[in-house]
Amino acid sequence: MTTHSDFRHSDVPVKHVAVRTLGYLVLTVVSVVCVFPLLWIALTSLRTPDSAFGKSFIPTAAEWTLQAYSSAFTSAGMGRGLVNSLIVTACTIVGVVIVATLGGYGFARFNFRGRRPIYIAILSTLMVPGAVLIIPLFLEFKVFHLLDSLQGLALVYIATSVPFAVVLMRGFFERVPENLADAARIDGASELAVFFRVMLPLVQPAVLTLAVFQFLSSWNEFLLAETFLRSADLLTVQPRVYAIVGQYSTNWSLLCAAVVISVIPVVILYVVLQRRFVAGLTVGALRG
Amino acid sequence: MTVPVQAAAEQITLQRRPARRGSRRPRAGSYGRARGQGVGYLFILPAVALFLIFIGYPIIRSIYQSFTQWPGFGPSTFVGFQNFSAMFQDPVFVTALVNTIEFTAVTTIVATFLAMVLAAVLRAKWRFGTVFRVAIFVPALLSLVVSGTVWGLIYEPNFGILDTFLNAIGLHSIAISWLSDSATVVPSLIVVGIWQSLGFYMLIFYAALHDIDPALYEAAQLDGASVVAQFRYVTMPMLRSVTSIVVTLNLINGMKVFDIIYVMTGGGPDNASQSLTTYLYSLAFGGQVAGAIPAIGYATAIGVVVLLLAIIIVAAQLAIGARRRLT
Repeated sequence: MTTHSDFRHSDVPVKHVAVRTLGYLVLTVVSVVCVFPLLWIALTSLRTPDSAFGKSFIPTAAEWTLQAYSSAFTSAGMGRGLVNSLIVTACTIVGVVIVATLGGYGFARFNFRGRRPIYIAILSTLMVPGAVLIIPLFLEFKVFHLLDSLQGLALVYIATSVPFAVVLMRGFFERVPENLADAARIDGASELAVFFRVMLPLVQPAVLTLAVFQFLSSWNEFLLAETFLRSADLLTVQPRVYAIVGQYSTNWSLLCAAVVISVIPVVILYVVLQRRFVAGLTVGALRG
Repeated sequence: MTVPVQAAAEQITLQRRPARRGSRRPRAGSYGRARGQGVGYLFILPAVALFLIFIGYPIIRSIYQSFTQWPGFGPSTFVGFQNFSAMFQDPVFVTALVNTIEFTAVTTIVATFLAMVLAAVLRAKWRFGTVFRVAIFVPALLSLVVSGTVWGLIYEPNFGILDTFLNAIGLHSIAISWLSDSATVVPSLIVVGIWQSLGFYMLIFYAALHDIDPALYEAAQLDGASVVAQFRYVTMPMLRSVTSIVVTLNLINGMKVFDIIYVMTGGGPDNASQSLTTYLYSLAFGGQVAGAIPAIGYATAIGVVVLLLAIIIVAAQLAIGARRRLT
């Protein structure tokens, strides 16, 4: 041991300093590139519209104002957008959790004819890009009279999220020891009771992970919302930000305020749920 | 479990019990797998119904529609492969295909490699390590619409920070209008794609790095391996399966790139930045017409091309994975 550390002492430390300096340099540059644009947006949202085109990066004392935020809520309808997004996202989370836990449990714990082919059919559509479905879905929702409604949007979010969520929940249910369910069955519990009283509580952390993942994907979804929603007061946050970009392209403070408002709920959730949040995000990697 | 529920539950199960035959006696540990068939169907019913109505049917309808011409109203006419053969005479489609491949290839290579390196670097102990990690991860919280909006302002030629910065350091010649020049628009969009997704992929690698046995690094250090050699001969091989997941995610996300382009350029200038999805969207919903071809059938055919590309990507990943398991 001593020989090794003696040997290492001779050349490693110098290299070490160089490597560490390089490391700090790389990390700092990448971090600045990642965060600086957002800092700029936040600062711009807090200044008067005219001063957004000024020379100073940080607003001068006279330029600070919350005016952009009040107009984002009053004239640009961001408040309405937040409410709409909240409704759609909440409905989607509830719907996906119910359908996917039931389905995942069914595939994990029951034997029935066609189980494998049905599961493989669902699994194989995980990678289907939304753009492939958008035209037929639009036509289908037109027939069902579900276009331009928040219920319709929530329904399409639930439906397109279900395959992934079922695959995910099936994986979690398979890892739960079966003997607990058997014990309940011996006590005479029905299958539904076993599911709700025994199995569901056991996968509760997984359900929370799924919920967080679903929150992010619904909140940030744009393509379907932009296509399905037409009325101005039904727009959710993302298409509304896009509309504001078109409508107020020269009012940068307002634009930036709208952007900040749309991001705040996500940031709050991130701060409150950090660990779970990261799990919810990376769980999406299972799509691979 | 409360008593009344249990009693009620008992009645239901008691009725079902005799239905289980002796031949279906479950093996230990997989008791539930042998439960009655009907119950299993009931559990998967809602998921399967939604799947069939909103995913299965649309995919089949898409494939059918891609062989037709349809202006969006009235009857559609079956035209065989005409939509597909017309694509290669359509210069906008060719541009969109090339752009999509370029976007996908560059974002995949750069984002995967950069994310892996950053994760490996962050795994070491740094002062403010958490700050760096959160900073790099933050853009991943943003929607693509927000990322597009933010970068639209950054690239803005008069007051955007990019050109302001370039002018400030004297590089007036390259302080250009990034998004309205057909030569720079696609690379500019690629930068946004990488910026937005880097933190997410970094996080996946970072999580995977925790599963690597530290003894491997200790052994490499004892053998005198440099930091770079450790990355090359320990980190990279150990991350192989995660890398294939990240690459696939990257490829699929590239294939379907829509939001960023739609928000930042709308496919312009003069269709120079169309991707397959923005082009099919503009044909179906934006009133754009490709030559004399009615929009819906042709747009759907482009969607089927995107689907085929996604299938090829997944099949390639599965094939590579299978070969790896064999060797």
